[in-house]
Amino acid sequence: MLMLTKDRALALAMMLMAGIMLVESGDIPPPTSWQPYGSALFPRILLVLVSALSLLILIRSLLAGAKRADTPRRTFPQWLAHNRTVLGLFLLFGLYAALLPLVGYIAATLGFLVLAFALLLGIDTRRKWIINLTVSGILVPLVYVIFRYGLNVWLP
Amino acid sequence: MADFFLQALGQVGSPMVLALITIGVLFGIIGGCIPGFTVTMAILVVFPFTFAMDPVSGVSLMVGVFVGGYSGGLVSGIMLGIPGTPSSITTVYDGYPMAQKGEPGRALGIGVAASFIGTLISVAVLVFFGPLIASYSMKFRPWEITSLIVFALTLVAGLSNGAMLKGLLAAALGLLITTVGYDRNSNLRFDFDLPVLGSGFEILPVMIGIFAFSQLMGNLEKLRDDKSEIKDVNTNVAIPYRQILVDMSRQKINTLRSSLIGSLVGALPGTGGTVANFISYDQAKKMSRHPEKFGTGTPDGIVASEASNSAVAGGAFVPTLALGIPGDLPMAIMMGVLILHGITPGPLMFEQNPVLVGAIYASLLIGAVVMVLCQLLLVRWFAKISLIPQQVLVPVVLMLCAVGAFALNNNLFDVWVLFIFGILGYLLWKAEVPLTPLILGVVLGDNMERQLFRALELDSSWLTFLTRPLSALFLALAVVSLLFSLYQNRKIRLHALETKGE
Repeated sequence: MLMLTKDRALALAMMLMAGIMLVESGDIPPPTSWQPYGSALFPRILLVLVSALSLLILIRSLLAGAKRADTPRRTFPQWLAHNRTVLGLFLLFGLYAALLPLVGYIAATLGFLVLAFALLLGIDTRRKWIINLTVSGILVPLVYVIFRYGLNVWLP
Repeated sequence: MADFFLQALGQVGSPMVLALITIGVLFGIIGGCIPGFTVTMAILVVFPFTFAMDPVSGVSLMVGVFVGGYSGGLVSGIMLGIPGTPSSITTVYDGYPMAQKGEPGRALGIGVAASFIGTLISVAVLVFFGPLIASYSMKFRPWEITSLIVFALTLVAGLSNGAMLKGLLAAALGLLITTVGYDRNSNLRFDFDLPVLGSGFEILPVMIGIFAFSQLMGNLEKLRDDKSEIKDVNTNVAIPYRQILVDMSRQKINTLRSSLIGSLVGALPGTGGTVANFISYDQAKKMSRHPEKFGTGTPDGIVASEASNSAVAGGAFVPTLALGIPGDLPMAIMMGVLILHGITPGPLMFEQNPVLVGAIYASLLIGAVVMVLCQLLLVRWFAKISLIPQQVLVPVVLMLCAVGAFALNNNLFDVWVLFIFGILGYLLWKAEVPLTPLILGVVLGDNMERQLFRALELDSSWLTFLTRPLSALFLALAVVSLLFSLYQNRKIRLHALETKGE
């Protein structure tokens, strides 16, 4: 049975993306007498290139066969548990981006930093909480003051 | 040019700009000495602070980070045995053993002195070759510029650690990202009926997202898999100045050779400090009368490593300023910063913004002096800072990236761009796709499309790319670089098979 390796997943994802973008490129206005090459030519050249390279990666991967992985294959729950820090941080950053316009820079950033430190440092000792709250408490207003008064940039 | 340089020196010499260079150097050293942080990350964190500055102040601050960053890696390399940046790997080979023998101050002093001389020599190379190449490249027409960009991208893709196909794919993907939104003829492309995509993606949030997320998440993954204990470090270091003067006086040829190697390698696309580091160390070992002493704590090894990686700073500016083509990742980001300040790097910069070019020279020189003073006076503090854990750094850097992306246009969409490209960068990194060609593609995409169509509007035949000698030469070099890369990959594969067979 064919296994979905990193290279195969990459090649298939890239070919899918190139296919969607090639279809979408049909909406780009066609060439005119004063624009003989049109606006679609350059991206289409690139899309063909991306597709061709992805196909080569796929063929190479199929010819080589699936390498035995150095790390053990994990079930989905095991994979989630193994990558919980990275996934959690991505999730926190997404929430941060979503909350920035709603609650403003200070509350959103403070929330993001406290939760991110808790995720990465842990919350099992008093020392970790002190580091967490001290760094968050100093950094958030400091960056605000630098940007607002030093650089004249209004943060949300 | 001398008049402009003096004018620039006057501007850079103002107390405000001097303070900015000092802050930049300090931050660069701190960024460089924290293992896994890298020069590029230091530049990314500092760039939002340049938004509200005039170009000379902004560029001076960034140059300070650049100079400090390339020298900062030696602190953790010598004190902890862990290179702060990839460009200081070979510093560890002799710096750490020397420190273990009870001479950490000597190792640090030699490293700092070599870094200083390396930076000065690279500035001389930049001052001499920059205008020369720029004036020659003024003759380049759209065909030559397009072919030169193709060559730069293929060279960088080909040098991607045995992953040529993925490197090329990344470069094409980078170019493709720049086609989203209104084009030069005001035609809308790939907006997917989302009005926010009409103006396309800003270069900087894309670059930061791709690089910062992959690097920071990668650091966290390494931390998860690395169970080794944190080293205890003795930060009571005294620099034996007289001994260092004696050591450096015996290293004149080595310093000069290593600095020139660093400058040359820095000027080549896709190479940077890491390559310079290894070539220079290897050459120093081959030329030495005592090659057997390399790796045991000899000053020759530290000088070769530090002079070359610091010389990359000036060398890397040569193609960026003279041709508008960045040689490596930090330079690609530096180019993004220049564009942000309304300056287009390239041969015209020497005519249109001579004072700014002079300011870059002056900032490099002043940055080198500030770097030596900071390193010698504050080395014990840098050694302590290098112990800041990644668990504290990662959220702080992510937060600064988000604030920086927002501050670019006061637009929250840029924070989403950062996040989405962060996910894309991380996934591509997991799939072992090199990210440098992708970022170079993003930086060069607009210019490549503009030059390509200007060429076709002047002469509709594609064959002209092959009939103009210089354009044909660049395309031929692009093909040669790919063939060489294929040959190298094959050699590596065969070697791996042989090793496995044994």
